[in-house]
Amino acid sequence: MIEAKNINFYYGDFHALKNISIAIKPNTVTAFIGPSGCGKSTFLRLFNRMNDLIENTRLSGECLIEGKNIYDKSVDIDALRKRVGMVFQKPNPFPKSIFENVAYGLRVNDMGNKQFIQQRVEESLKGAALWDEVKDKLHKSAYELSGGQQQRLCIARALAVAPSVILMDEPASALDPISTSKIEELIHELKQQYTIVIVTHNMQQAARVSDNTGFFMHGELVEYSDTKKMFLNPNKESTQNYITGRFG
Amino acid sequence: MNKRLSQQIAFIIFKLFGVLVVAILISILGFIIVNGISVINWEFLTAFPEEGMTTGGIFPAIVGTLYLIIGSLLFAFPLGVMSAIYTHEYAGKGWIVKTIRMMTNNLASIPSIVFGLFGMALFVNKLNFGDSIIAGSLTLGLLALPVIIRTTEEALKAVPNTYREASLALGATKLQTIKKVVIPAAMPNIITGLILSIGRVSGETAPILFTVAAYLLPQLPTGIFDQAMALPYHLYVLATSGTDLEASRPMAYGTALVLIMIVLTMNLLASFMRRKLEKKRSK
Repeated sequence: MIEAKNINFYYGDFHALKNISIAIKPNTVTAFIGPSGCGKSTFLRLFNRMNDLIENTRLSGECLIEGKNIYDKSVDIDALRKRVGMVFQKPNPFPKSIFENVAYGLRVNDMGNKQFIQQRVEESLKGAALWDEVKDKLHKSAYELSGGQQQRLCIARALAVAPSVILMDEPASALDPISTSKIEELIHELKQQYTIVIVTHNMQQAARVSDNTGFFMHGELVEYSDTKKMFLNPNKESTQNYITGRFG
Repeated sequence: MNKRLSQQIAFIIFKLFGVLVVAILISILGFIIVNGISVINWEFLTAFPEEGMTTGGIFPAIVGTLYLIIGSLLFAFPLGVMSAIYTHEYAGKGWIVKTIRMMTNNLASIPSIVFGLFGMALFVNKLNFGDSIIAGSLTLGLLALPVIIRTTEEALKAVPNTYREASLALGATKLQTIKKVVIPAAMPNIITGLILSIGRVSGETAPILFTVAAYLLPQLPTGIFDQAMALPYHLYVLATSGTDLEASRPMAYGTALVLIMIVLTMNLLASFMRRKLEKKRSK
């Protein structure tokens, strides 16, 4: 269960998120859509505190994961990021081998011995539907893979540390249609075990993969509802305009 | 004049200057090789100077220079790399970093003779090391420091931020991220900084003049508090203050050739290491 209450966020003087509240159920896929600069990525990056890396920002409001405010002073940020994984817009594997990419999170979090790591790497690659393609070249560079494979590797890397939530920031925007559909299938699979929040530019993608959709504009959450309802019969006119392609 | 013609003329001029630069470099190298090659033999490399430095070899100067390279980089490399990691990865953009960066740049522009003077005042006299390898190494290290800091900072800047984000997002701490992702990715470029500073350190004369260099020593140094001979200073001695300058001239060219060869070998070795690391990195 993820819950945001009255979130306001500022980059310097710029009011990027305006009083946003939302509740996300476990084992669902939630999509955030909206025009560029609407704040959807900023909002996503609140849930693993990636915005902490940016200087001169300010946050108010509460952001709860499993009942606990993740911005509380007592929160261990590294432990939080282990529980809330992230997949980025461009595939960003480390300049290491395929195996080491997936093992990285296990190593830095001191999770298990060599045997466990070996087993976990295999499970994660299977979980990301990449195992069959890479099982014979685990020790080759991750950069020998295609863009789509690299992105699935990044998903495997996120799965390895056993998170409960996976945040995806336009995970398919740099990929070709075939790779994109593979990622979408994967999101369907992953829903069984993880809570997924995905930011996307692509409305068909949101319609295909998500259970719920939030529409953002000018830093506000304009509408948040069941995906079917959102696409068939939205409450707000601006939502209607956006999804029918009248702007954005 | 039409546009295409003026473009062609401009390119020919640029090309001429480009060729000129190469020609200058080749003629310096050629001059040293032609004049120095005749004295280079096994004895020259392994024997002590004899008969007022007109015959014999330059062995102690070679050894001394190697000691000084190693000594100065043992001091400057870790210090420079760590300071660059601090300024680039930890310190943010505040006034402290700006000050450190400004000081680093100023440090780089201080004439080397001033470093020599400072090294003499601090290491030789104040800390009472005397004319010694340690005093010379520390002085040369100060000189190499800004080069190492700047190239390391550039190397860290070249590491894509997406690597850092990916690592942190997996629950790695900042230190783990730096140790396991950032530094390995930056290492080939950091090694380049090391190459540059080896070149700088081995060729400098002024900083060792008052801190370590000996005119002539009957034996090799036995510890870090001993004086040492060094190639650049030995070259200076051979060219200006030997007992028979005319007779020691070939020795001077031979010394210059050895000095150049050491620098070139170091560069080749370092770029070989760099390529190897790059290969390993992409595996």
